[in-house]
Amino acid sequence: MSDEEQSGWQLTESDPGVFTELLKTLGVPLIVDDLYSLDSDSLANLQPLHALIFLFKWVASGDSESGPGSSSGTYDPDFQGFFAHQVVNNACATLAVLNALGNIPSLPTGPQLGELVSFSTGMDPQTRGLVITSADWLREAHNTLSPPSAISLEGLNLPRKSEDAYHFVVYLPVMGALYELDGLKPHAVRHSAYSEDGEGWLKVAREVIEARINTYPMGSLEFSLLALRDDPLPTLQSKIQEAQQAGNRELEHELLSTLTNENAKRERWAFENSLRKHNHVGLVHALLMVMAKSGKLSEAEAKAKEAMKTRIEQRKARGEDMDEDD
Amino acid sequence: MPASVTNDTLLAFKAGRAFRRDGSNVVEADPAKGAILLTNGDDGLLHFIWKNRETDVSEEDLIIFPTDATFTKVDQSNGRVYVLKFSSSNQRHFFWMQDASSARDEEFANNVNGVLQDPEHPLQWGTSGSSSSAPPAQASSSSTTSTTPAAAAPGFQATPEQLDYLQTLLRAGGATTGAAEAAAPELEASLVDILTPANLTPLFTNHPELVPTLFPYLPPDLPMPPSAEVVQRIIHSPQFRAAVASFDQALRTGLLGNLVRQLGLPEEAGLGIAPFLRAVQAKADRENREAGGMDTD
Repeated sequence: MSDEEQSGWQLTESDPGVFTELLKTLGVPLIVDDLYSLDSDSLANLQPLHALIFLFKWVASGDSESGPGSSSGTYDPDFQGFFAHQVVNNACATLAVLNALGNIPSLPTGPQLGELVSFSTGMDPQTRGLVITSADWLREAHNTLSPPSAISLEGLNLPRKSEDAYHFVVYLPVMGALYELDGLKPHAVRHSAYSEDGEGWLKVAREVIEARINTYPMGSLEFSLLALRDDPLPTLQSKIQEAQQAGNRELEHELLSTLTNENAKRERWAFENSLRKHNHVGLVHALLMVMAKSGKLSEAEAKAKEAMKTRIEQRKARGEDMDEDD
Repeated sequence: MPASVTNDTLLAFKAGRAFRRDGSNVVEADPAKGAILLTNGDDGLLHFIWKNRETDVSEEDLIIFPTDATFTKVDQSNGRVYVLKFSSSNQRHFFWMQDASSARDEEFANNVNGVLQDPEHPLQWGTSGSSSSAPPAQASSSSTTSTTPAAAAPGFQATPEQLDYLQTLLRAGGATTGAAEAAAPELEASLVDILTPANLTPLFTNHPELVPTLFPYLPPDLPMPPSAEVVQRIIHSPQFRAAVASFDQALRTGLLGNLVRQLGLPEEAGLGIAPFLRAVQAKADRENREAGGMDTD
């Protein structure tokens, strides 16, 4: 039985726009952004910053483990914060988000998420993981951004195939120490304590993440970083007005530029999410009709057959398995 | 391996094999056209044979002791994937029915199981109204079917079982059921190569009046109003391209008869890529004629 059928959780893309939409559904005023660099300026721009999510695909062959181990840090079986095991593979992204959200103090949330977190107080990680994966409302929110089921042939031709499992690890501060929350590990992992001045926990997080990245041979690790941060939009407008009133034109322009970029990004996310939710079969048919009406369809079909023939011949020449995905 | 089929073939029907991919729960259909035969061997034992119909070579020849094995439907498929399981070992052999119509699947499976339990089991045929006195040795396929397999679900919502079946077929690179066996699937055009930006962009430029016909099919919650530019962005997007690839693969299974009716196409359009494209062209020609007709006086 596929993961999807067994659990009802569909595979989704791990895109900041997808995460941010989920956060909106959860009633949480945070967004997720791509993080291209861990240097202090990049991180400073994203403040207030609540958690870093390290997302990777382990590419080495022969290693059936779900991912690299990290050698620093120690297991904390008495962790008092929110930590849940990953019980369903397809739910891994949403689970990582919850492991982060569950540890952010005084976080405004929608009622369902609030109830889920408090209901799971005191539970062991495995039980908490099961509770999360059985929450129908959460699963539905998660599944909203995967393609509609008629053409969701799980794992096939989607940007990430089900066999290329992506793994998520959350890094965030809890009660004065940096913690690493990995749903596939038995316990939360405690790294060192940090001092509040300067960059605070981010300094330790950077060291730990960079050290981890450096343990892999060059090119063997495909990864990305995401930042879970306050949504900047609500306060940008008022900050712009303040700058205007203070006559600080430079700041005003800088903020206006940030606002423009932020809005453009949101529009792009909204565009991509609308495409994700949409059943494109009607559009495929309509496009083929346009081609047919303008007399271009048979020519395109003939060229496509040739292209397929060439591809097959090339594969045979290379001695490749015909089952290879294109 | 030489064919060990004797004259004592108890029953036979078209079936392909499927194999579990290492380290996963996914069973992948092998596209080779084959047949399952149950025979009473020279050794006096029951043989469960899988023969490749193209090479006529028996590639599997399993000796089965009474009651040791069962041949059961795999629940997570649409009912056309079966597994041969043994109580004496962990062996599992997966097969998929290759006859164009699934109408006799259960009949074949029941008879297989009957014989596996007891080689003397009297075969029972005739559930589809055919004569029960002479069991056919081969599932008939010379008359190609015009009925789509009953498994196709109405509308856009395929059941999880169908999707899993589609998945197993699709991993074999477009293997089709009996209905489309005549066409070599590899040489069919792929929609992915037809609906390329290179093919579509010049169309939008040369026929701007056709662009608004696309608007009703765009996502309803776009953050901007529909336009040719938006259409361009969409056809370039990974989400759209993935959807084209998925639909292409789904069409190759030949199971989309009901779905294509919702698009205003005849049921035969759901039998594969070529029938689909032909039906689209026919509909386009008709609509062009009707539109042109309005101008004549």
